[in-house]
Amino acid sequence: VAEFLMYLTNGVVMGVINAISAIGVSLIVGIMKVVNFAHGEIYIFAGYFSYHLSVSLGLPPLLSMVLAIGLVFLFGLVLERTLIRPTYGDEMYSLIITFVLSIVLQNLALLIFGPYPNKPPNLVSGAVNLFGLFHYGNQRLLSFLISIGILLFIFYLIKKTWFGKSIRAVSQDRGMSSLMGVNHFRVNMFAFGLGAALAGAAGVILAPIFPVTPTGSSSVSLTAFVVVVLGGMGSLQGCVVGGLVLGIIENLGAAYISTMYRHIFAFIILIMVLVFRPWGLYGQKT
Amino acid sequence: MKRILVLTFIMLFALAPLAWAQSTIKIGVVGPRTGPAAATGKAFEEGIAIALDHLNAKGGVLGKKLEVVFEDTGGVPEKAASGFERLATREKVPIVVGESHSSSALAEIEVANRYKVPLIICEAWHDDITKKGYKYVFRAGPANSGVVDFYIAPFVKENGFKKVAIVRENSDWGAGIAERSEMNLKNMNIPFTTLKVERESKDFYTELTKIKGENPDIILAYIYGTGLHFFIAQANEVGLSPKGLILDGAGPPSLWDSFWKNVGNAGELELFMSSMHENVHLTPTSRKFWDDYKKKYGKDPSDYKTRSIYNVILIAADAINRSKSTDAEAIVAALEKTNLEVTTGTVKFGLKQGTYEYHQWMPPMLVVQWQGKKQIVVYPKEAAMGALKKGR
Repeated sequence: VAEFLMYLTNGVVMGVINAISAIGVSLIVGIMKVVNFAHGEIYIFAGYFSYHLSVSLGLPPLLSMVLAIGLVFLFGLVLERTLIRPTYGDEMYSLIITFVLSIVLQNLALLIFGPYPNKPPNLVSGAVNLFGLFHYGNQRLLSFLISIGILLFIFYLIKKTWFGKSIRAVSQDRGMSSLMGVNHFRVNMFAFGLGAALAGAAGVILAPIFPVTPTGSSSVSLTAFVVVVLGGMGSLQGCVVGGLVLGIIENLGAAYISTMYRHIFAFIILIMVLVFRPWGLYGQKT
Repeated sequence: MKRILVLTFIMLFALAPLAWAQSTIKIGVVGPRTGPAAATGKAFEEGIAIALDHLNAKGGVLGKKLEVVFEDTGGVPEKAASGFERLATREKVPIVVGESHSSSALAEIEVANRYKVPLIICEAWHDDITKKGYKYVFRAGPANSGVVDFYIAPFVKENGFKKVAIVRENSDWGAGIAERSEMNLKNMNIPFTTLKVERESKDFYTELTKIKGENPDIILAYIYGTGLHFFIAQANEVGLSPKGLILDGAGPPSLWDSFWKNVGNAGELELFMSSMHENVHLTPTSRKFWDDYKKKYGKDPSDYKTRSIYNVILIAADAINRSKSTDAEAIVAALEKTNLEVTTGTVKFGLKQGTYEYHQWMPPMLVVQWQGKKQIVVYPKEAAMGALKKGR
């Protein structure tokens, strides 16, 4: 039982962090109809930023996490304005642009940061004995709590604020919302920045646990895409549920079926969802 | 007039490579400069630079300047095969050295054999690389069977470990070295369990919880790259180590600059295989390498693969010099008669066909333990600097 609970706990923790990164993809898909292939690279850059801000510049770890997210947010804004905006209306172009961007950024990271993994300092160290049953890393627990906080903030932002309303309006009907006075260029730009910031948030939260490497970006993107498809394109609840499902299934599958095929479980679910429920768990059937 | 000028320029550029080709000899190098073991590419680059400085200062090869063309394999067999093919057909190199991924090496030896280009492997450990008996393939480096039979298995036995856990990545190297370890443990009647993990895994909590249930006193970790750092840090978090000691079956990841940053205090008492130690200099060449490295990079070498690539370049240059040609057959004949001092001993390739020892020379290895952030050689006894510390 202790072991089962351990697998479950780890699944939930990883699931919630997966969800943050996936919401970043989902927002951009939902609002802009752009699939951002460079998502994983932004995650990696944020990880490296927080490493260099805290280790090379000596800033406090928490501050450097926030600054790193801020930096990739700005980076996202610039990207949208320069590369993504000219592609509106043609999904193929944006696909190719973000794909090329991911390759360029990955090599840039290799050039700037080198091939070695880098790890920002832990906020806390050690492990606690959970329920007297098993040991669990403190850093992971803290990351879990921070992630929950970020999730609540995003839900509040999208559901309760004027900005959230305009985002939802643009994603429902771009033409109509702009007739109603929503500046959809600005909404797009901000949404892309927010998507990048969420990738960055997942990056800075996970970097102390899984140090970042330039080549680690593709698995980050892939996980996020699986979660988004699982939950349904553009659905926030879908991302959370999809992230949790993925996290739990990966851990239980690895524990009780085979550790060798951990990541294959994700793809089996993905294929099943695509076959039986192509609009995802929470998406809308079109 | 303008047209003539342009033409002259074009001619100049077109002919320049030809002129260069005559005054240099190029050796091909294959290895991962990208992918999960991109750090090995960095280590190789450093080793190549030092070897070239050393050899060219002595007048190069066959009186010509020695150059290296380094082809990236990314740790992917398909890329490795096509990279090798490019070296053989486009660059027309007389010999290729390098590689540190068994999966890539197994693809390269086929191409080497097809194009009849001699290849000296330095750090791909799978037995089959030399066991296949290919005439053009040599290895001046560890082989899985040698590492396990002569170092890991006796180390486990002599230190009285009662229960072993083997964790191995799903690569050719991981499969080969784990199988050999299982065979040895069976023969020694030491109980063990084996767990396979994915090569790019980051989260090992599930795996570690399973291992913890078995309560082993040593864990043979056959995982290469950053994954090993995650494994060590997390093993400590779930309370598996240091009660169960971890032995890194490859070595270099335990020495990368980022090791201590990534694993924190969990690195204490970790064990790893190595063929290099600051205080162990078996030959004068080893000393020279160390000094040259320090002079060039301003620090001590850490990844022993820097030295492995240095060795094989020396061996290749020596073979070309002795054969007095760049002809493949002559180079192979010269390689078979190699008797050259490198940093890890005197290289002589085995000639008995049918085993992994064919065209193979194995450098002596060490089992090293981190004790108070110092590298303490704990095995073999002749080289030991201190006693093995067991965790509680």
